[in-house]
Amino acid sequence: MQGGMWGGLRKALDRLYLAGGILAGLFLVAIAVLVLLSIVSRLLGIFVPGLSEYAGYAMAASSFFALAYTFGRGGHIRVNLVLTKFSGTRRRLAELWCLAAGSFLAGYLAWYSVKMVRVSHMLGDISEGSDAIHLWIPQLSMAAGAVLLAVALVDRLISVAAGAPLAAEQSSE
Amino acid sequence: MEQLVLTLVFLTVLFFLLGSGVWVGLSLLGVALTGMLLFTTRPAGDAMATTIWAASSSWTLTALPLFIWMGEILFRTRLSEDLFKGLSPWLGRLPGRLLHVNVAGCALFAAISGSSAATVATVGKMSIPELRRREYPESMIIGTLAGAGTLGLLIPPSIILIVYGVTVNESIAGLFMAGVFPGIMLALLFMGYIIVRALLDPASMPPKEAASNLLQKLRASVSLMPVVALIVGVLGSIYAGVATATEAAVLGVVGALLLSFLQGSLTWKSFTASLMGATRTSSMIALILGGAAFLSLAMGFTGLPRNLASWIGALELSPLALIVALTVFYIILGCFLDGISAVVLTMAVVEPMVRQAGFDMLWFGIFLVIVVEMAQITPPVGFNLFVLQGMTDHEMPYIAKAALPMFGIMVLAVILVVAFPEIATWLPAQMRTGP
Repeated sequence: MQGGMWGGLRKALDRLYLAGGILAGLFLVAIAVLVLLSIVSRLLGIFVPGLSEYAGYAMAASSFFALAYTFGRGGHIRVNLVLTKFSGTRRRLAELWCLAAGSFLAGYLAWYSVKMVRVSHMLGDISEGSDAIHLWIPQLSMAAGAVLLAVALVDRLISVAAGAPLAAEQSSE
Repeated sequence: MEQLVLTLVFLTVLFFLLGSGVWVGLSLLGVALTGMLLFTTRPAGDAMATTIWAASSSWTLTALPLFIWMGEILFRTRLSEDLFKGLSPWLGRLPGRLLHVNVAGCALFAAISGSSAATVATVGKMSIPELRRREYPESMIIGTLAGAGTLGLLIPPSIILIVYGVTVNESIAGLFMAGVFPGIMLALLFMGYIIVRALLDPASMPPKEAASNLLQKLRASVSLMPVVALIVGVLGSIYAGVATATEAAVLGVVGALLLSFLQGSLTWKSFTASLMGATRTSSMIALILGGAAFLSLAMGFTGLPRNLASWIGALELSPLALIVALTVFYIILGCFLDGISAVVLTMAVVEPMVRQAGFDMLWFGIFLVIVVEMAQITPPVGFNLFVLQGMTDHEMPYIAKAALPMFGIMVLAVILVVAFPEIATWLPAQMRTGP
């Protein structure tokens, strides 16, 4: 497991998830700034087109970019009532099932998110809001975030199958 | 008949995915996908992507991460100390004395935080050691904290009310206002319970502390003023109609950063920790909401909500019987699921039923939050209990037993809100017709 190439890959993947998380954090700041701008511009009586749409896109970007990072930190909630009853091999098998099912579903989401972006791009879909931008641009965040989540799940699936220690499940709120 | 078989398959997949421990957001995707494949020939994947995109990129939803962030910032300030020091001089005279700090502290923190776990953690950080040092009965310290923590979700801002509002398309500002009086009522009920217990068994309470004069009391509370100003600013701007929930949330974030800065607790480290904490929580909720949006689309094709609504309609249940049935249903569901998942998972089915029965959706949201919160202080899945377990080193059964009387009080609160719906509906009505 500690081999040069694998060690390097491990580090690169972890950095990638963290980068997604940081990007998501920046988009959260962007939401705050955009909403502040809309308040200020309203107080000044100026209409800036598209602010609320941009805040919505930032919302999506913040949510999706953070998916893999949140997964890595055990931030996605699950029902572990049954899971915690198991230990040893059974626990590992149950965990593998969850990861396999999760990988499939996240992969499915990633596949069709990418397809949505491609279709939007091909048809030249334009936002119906006052921002009037090409929809595939903000939609990229969903595709990228979903792909990243799928990668993180498959990554974890392979690690657990190869015998990586199971983290003590901590439910977040 | 075929419909029935398909429905059974659908429900089996639902229970199996969720129950086996697949992450809630992804489980919802899987269930919805199964529903689409079983009940319609429409391309499931494309519908999924566009539905989730539409649900995730909405302006209304932006209130969610902002309010979460505000709570995360304040959680990292000296607020827990300030709450204890500022409130205790005022409450020492009531029977039950400083136990009331648990309730009042939770109620106050609930007005700036949307999460009950954060409320329990913030208030308990200071009050548990302080109350233990003064030898208050342990089960009362823990019980009142577990119960009063539920105020975090009832008193606005409230994460679960935002989730509910987004799911059923109701005004978040209206829902927030609807939560104010039920929240205050529940806090008073908790305090009433402490008073009754103290009067019944005065020997169990520690002796009175040296009384302070008014000036000393005021001085002790000075540190609470910024928090009170923040609450008035955020909730007041929503009530007055000058700000939407999202705008009030961003004012709250700015205010919280300012407060944290003035206290000297704003560092680069605390700033990034609050930001990343908020990012994780809102990403988790966003995945669940995305899954739920796809699920309600799929549910439409299954015909399940329609059938159930007409079936319930044919039963000609009285509204009261329906509410009782739903209460029992949500308490059982809450034994396995957290509050947010329980709400989004069921809304696709429950919403048409409730609308057909003619309930006010704002009122129903408040009812739902109280009921779901009751489940959060009952084992096996009770997030307030988990938090307290981490903070006190008690076993789960002990904490659950200490919290049991609070469960009873919340049943009373539900009965009151059902009997007098105006408790919830009065304030939002004032807001709408107001200037």
